[in-house]
Amino acid sequence: MGLAAGASALYGGRDLMIKRIKQYGSIYGAFVSTSFSEAMSFRAHFVLLIVMDLVFYGTHLWSIDILYDHIHLIGTWRREHLLFFASVMLAINQLTMTLVSENYWQFPLMIRTGNFDFHLVKPVSSIFLTFFRTIRPGSMFNMAFTAPAVVYFGLQVDLGFWAWIALPFGIVLGFLLQNSLEMLFSCAMFWMIDGTGVNFIRIEFQQLARWPDFVYPSMLRGALTYLVPVLLIGSAPVRFLLAPSDFWPILGLVVFLLFFWALLGFFWRMGLLAYESASS
Amino acid sequence: MKVYLAKWGATMAVTWSNLLVYRVNFILQSIAPLFVFLLVKLSLWYRIYEGQPGLIGGYSFGQMAAYHLWVMITGLLVFNGNSQRISEDIRLGRITSYLIYPFSLWEFHGAGFLARTLLQTGIAIFTIFAALALLGGRLESPSFGPFVLGLLLAILGGVFWFWINYWVGLVAFWLEETWTLMVMLQIVTYFLSGAIIPLELYPEWLRTILLYSPFPYIAYGPAQLMMGNLEGVGRAFLVLGFWALVASWFAQWVWRRGLRLYTAAGI
Repeated sequence: MGLAAGASALYGGRDLMIKRIKQYGSIYGAFVSTSFSEAMSFRAHFVLLIVMDLVFYGTHLWSIDILYDHIHLIGTWRREHLLFFASVMLAINQLTMTLVSENYWQFPLMIRTGNFDFHLVKPVSSIFLTFFRTIRPGSMFNMAFTAPAVVYFGLQVDLGFWAWIALPFGIVLGFLLQNSLEMLFSCAMFWMIDGTGVNFIRIEFQQLARWPDFVYPSMLRGALTYLVPVLLIGSAPVRFLLAPSDFWPILGLVVFLLFFWALLGFFWRMGLLAYESASS
Repeated sequence: MKVYLAKWGATMAVTWSNLLVYRVNFILQSIAPLFVFLLVKLSLWYRIYEGQPGLIGGYSFGQMAAYHLWVMITGLLVFNGNSQRISEDIRLGRITSYLIYPFSLWEFHGAGFLARTLLQTGIAIFTIFAALALLGGRLESPSFGPFVLGLLLAILGGVFWFWINYWVGLVAFWLEETWTLMVMLQIVTYFLSGAIIPLELYPEWLRTILLYSPFPYIAYGPAQLMMGNLEGVGRAFLVLGFWALVASWFAQWVWRRGLRLYTAAGI
């Protein structure tokens, strides 16, 4: 009897989880669909978004290329190593741009106008509604640039078979860590009301992560690896891909990912307590 | 004239109060460039020079650090546009007021630009002292004459950038969103102005073309002057002045064309 009850609870729990996943999947499908409809009704903006990202990718890679015309090494990395790192960071950036970035700008606006109230009355996680509501379909097309760039520079650094298999997972892990941190920073908007300053700092942290960890002096590197681990976003996967024996940083990335996700839940709840609707 | 100037003064006061209403945000935005300079640029160039004894593009490490400090200061004075607000005014039909009031849209945004530039000048002064204090004797203090010329060139760069911003904002007569255009222009300007790496490192053919464009005189030119290098100073003022005039004329032309499409109910 006890066993039967346990099994029933287990299967009931599993059914519930599957139901929840299906529910969130269908909501996300609706978000994607509405974002596409909106993007298609502003076609010039849609095209400009694609061009804007491409201009950024092009100038970033070209700057590194120009720099290496005058030097041989940065740390121990040659041109192709840094270009591979940069292309991985661009791929992470492209995922962020497509799936989350727009929401960081909308969030403070919702808090200021009180529209955030509508997220609180819905029977779905308010974190999910806040940070995954809007996607940028235009940026999705830029995968046609970032994916070949990663493959091209990956070939230049002679990635091994397992590294090619691990590459997409490394990029996704980097993306997840970056956004756990950025969502955590965004919680400050509950108290600051206007989010411009937080978004500024968020972007400055992206700039820090855009260079490999060995560039920074040891104290700073330690702080940006163990306190605010922005350097793990790109450096951990790339170091692992270039030398699989260097796996500690990527393990650290996974641990920090779990830790910061839990921390996000805590600060989000604190933020909700501080939220005063449109009267703020 | 007194009444006219009072309008500029009142608009500037409103802009200041808007900018300072959220103080923590203002402070975060003010310290962000110094933060990036100290943490990213200095670290990166230090590591580059570590493996490269001697000069890179004619720069020692100290000179490269000074160059990037002055580029950062120039950036504070130049990039003060507000095209987003202009686009919003057009899209929501708010520019009707400016068609009736004795204070036009460009004057309103011009006053806002002046207010932001004055505020940014204060931030720039604080940043210079903070950087010099933090880096001790590793950075040379600039000589007065060339430094003032560099500041003037940066302010002229700011005027050019204001008109470019104004023009991009006015594109809202035709496009629903203009911020992408502005960000794109900013990325291209950063790259071509030498704000990322000094122009000496660029290929010769690109440098030759850039000399006739406004870009080098927005970051590279003022930074060189602030470092005491007076070479090509006349040319810098002439070329940038020419482009600032072209940009202002073009923005006014776009305004006249755009007004024909304006329905006062938003676009």
